[in-house]
Amino acid sequence: MLRRGAALALAVPPAAALLEACSSSSSSFSGTGSQAGSLAGTAHMENYPDWMGTHVVPAFQQLHPGSFIKQTTNSSSSISGTVQQLKTGNFDFGLADVSATQQAVDIGLVQPPDWTKIPNIKYVGQSFRAAYPHGIPTDYGKIGIGYRPDLVGEKITSWHDVWRLAPKFSGKIVFIDLDRDCMGSTLKYLGFSGNSTVPSQLTACKNALIKIKPHLQAFLGVNYGQGLQDGSTVIAMDYDYDVALNQQKQPKIEWVYPSEGMVAYIEGWIAMKSSKVLPLVQSFMNFALEPKQYADFVNTTGTAYVEPAATPYIEKSISGSTILRPGKTIVNVEFEHFLGSATALWTQVWDEVKAA
Amino acid sequence: MQAATALRGRKAASGQAAGQRRWLGHLLVVPTAVWTLAFFVIPLALITVFSFGTENLVTFNVGFGWTASNYAAFGSDLYLSTLLRSLALSLGTTAACALLGFPLAFFISRQRPRAQRVLLAAVIVPFWTSFLVRTYSWVNLLQTDGPVDRLAFGITGHHLQILYSPASIAIGMTYSYLPLMVLPIYVALERISPDLYAAAADLGARPWRQFRRVVLPLARPGLIAGIIIVGVPATGEYVIPEILGGGKTLMIGNIIVGQYLDVGDYPFGSALAVSLMVILMAMLFALRRVQPAVEPR
Repeated sequence: MLRRGAALALAVPPAAALLEACSSSSSSFSGTGSQAGSLAGTAHMENYPDWMGTHVVPAFQQLHPGSFIKQTTNSSSSISGTVQQLKTGNFDFGLADVSATQQAVDIGLVQPPDWTKIPNIKYVGQSFRAAYPHGIPTDYGKIGIGYRPDLVGEKITSWHDVWRLAPKFSGKIVFIDLDRDCMGSTLKYLGFSGNSTVPSQLTACKNALIKIKPHLQAFLGVNYGQGLQDGSTVIAMDYDYDVALNQQKQPKIEWVYPSEGMVAYIEGWIAMKSSKVLPLVQSFMNFALEPKQYADFVNTTGTAYVEPAATPYIEKSISGSTILRPGKTIVNVEFEHFLGSATALWTQVWDEVKAA
Repeated sequence: MQAATALRGRKAASGQAAGQRRWLGHLLVVPTAVWTLAFFVIPLALITVFSFGTENLVTFNVGFGWTASNYAAFGSDLYLSTLLRSLALSLGTTAACALLGFPLAFFISRQRPRAQRVLLAAVIVPFWTSFLVRTYSWVNLLQTDGPVDRLAFGITGHHLQILYSPASIAIGMTYSYLPLMVLPIYVALERISPDLYAAAADLGARPWRQFRRVVLPLARPGLIAGIIIVGVPATGEYVIPEILGGGKTLMIGNIIVGQYLDVGDYPFGSALAVSLMVILMAMLFALRRVQPAVEPR
C-alpha cells in the first residue's frame, strides 16, 4: 500500500525511479545560512521519487563542492518496506513517517539528532517537532473528507454524515486504500483512537467498513479525489494535499475537518546510526530547513507544510490554502504512530474488510 | 598388423573426439543450470525454509523453530475464501480466453502465410506497451461516461457501472492473457495439414463435425498449453485486481504481496506462496495426466 509516493512514481518515467540528484545547479537557490566548508563525500538517502525540492540538492552541492546527495527510491513506501530498506545499512538517512521512524528507533537504527548541528529546526512548528522527535519533520498529511456540496445538496461536517449519506450516494463514494489511513479514520468515526490496538474496537471498525463497502465506488490507491472534479465521485475520504490539488481544478470541491477528528501522518528525515558521513547528513538537513530551501520542497511537492517561516516563499496557491497551511487546523488531529506487533492484527482486519 | 593398430588408434582418437564433443555439449547446459539453481531452485528452497519460521514484526528478525503455524493459519476462512475467489476468477479468465482465443487462432491459421504474419503481429503488438499502461487504459474505457458506458447508455438507456467490480477484473485479465492463449493454439492449428480437412469433407463430414472430430482433437495440446500458460499466472494475479477491482476484491496474490511488502511477515507470506504453488502444481499434474490420453496419434 502506498501513499503519495506511488502517485508520483506513476507520474514519472521508470528511469526516474532511481534518482541521482547530482545534476544541474541554480545559483538563485544557493543557501545562505549554512556554514560552507569541507563536507566531501556522498550521503545516500532513501526517499520517494521526486520528494525533494527541485533546487535543494544542486544548491547544497554547489555550496559544498565534493559533497553529493544520492537519492534512491524504495519499491514500497509501506512502513515495513521503509524500515527494511533502512535496515540494510545502505543509507545514511531516509524519509520515514512516525510509524516507520519509531520502529527504526526500536531496532536501534536511528542516530538521535544533534540539534546544535541542525539549528534551523527552530523554523519548524513546535507541534510538529513534538510529533516527530527523532529527526527533522518535513511534511504531514491529514485524512479528511473532500466532497461536492452542489451535488450532495447538504453540508457535510462529520464522518457520521459520510456513513449516513452512503446509501443515498451509493457508488459515488471513494475511500483510501491504505489500512492505517482508512481504518484510522473509521476508528475516529466510531469515537476511538486512530491508533487503537484494542481487538473489540478493531472489530467494530471492520464492521463499520463492511457496512459501507457496498456503497463505495472503490478503495483507491492513487488519484483519490480525481472523480470529485467531474462529479463521478461526490464524497471522498482523502488527503488534504489531494483535495487542495483537485480544488484548484474544480472550485466546487470542499474540504471537511470531520467533527470527530481525523488522523494524520507526519514524515521527516532520520539519520542512520551506521552512517559514515553524519556531518554531511546533518549539514544537508540543516540546509533543507532554511525557509527558502524548504519552500522549494513545498512548491515542488505541493504538500501540507510544517515550517511557518517558509510561508513568504511558498506559492500562494499553497500558502493561501486553509487546507495546507499549518495552524489551528491540526488541533483536532491525531498523528499515526507505530503499532508494534498489532500491525499484523490491523492487516488481518484490513484483509477481512477487503475480502468481505 | 600395423593397419589394424592404426585403425584402432583412429577409432580411439575418434572416440576421444566424440567424448570431448559430448563434454562440450554438457558444458553448454552449465550456464542455464547455474542460472536456474541461483535464481529458481535456491530462492524456492529459501522460501520453503522461511515458511516454517516465525518473525518478530518489530525487529524483522526471523527465527527458525520449524513451526507449521503459518500453514495452519492458511486454513482460516479468510484465506481459503480468498483462494477460492482467486481460483474462480482464474478459471473464468482461462475459459474466456479459450472461448475467444480458439476461434481467433483458428481464423489466423486458415489465412495465407503473409496475412497470418500480420494477424499474429496484431496479437502480439499490445505486449510492446507497458502492462500497467494497458491495464490503466481499461479504467478510462470502463469508467462512468467512458466509451463502454456511453455505448451501453446509448443502447439500454442505463449507465453501466462496471469499473471497480469483479466483472472489470475479469475483462482486464482476459484482455491481458488472451495472447498467451492464442499463440499455443495457433501453433497447434497451424500444424494441421489442409489435406485432413479435405479428407474429412470427402468422407462426408460437415464443418461442425470436421471441427469436433479433426480440429479439436489435434488442437488439444495447444489448448492445454494455453490453459496452463494463462491459468497459472492468473491465479496469482494481483496488479489487475488492484487497479480494476478498486481494492474491493481481494485475491490471494494481494494477500501474499501485503504480507511481504506491507507487514513484512516473510514466513507467513512464504507459507501462502508455497501453499499456492503446491495447489497449482497439483492442478498441473492433473492436466498432465489428461494430456497423453488426448495426444493425437
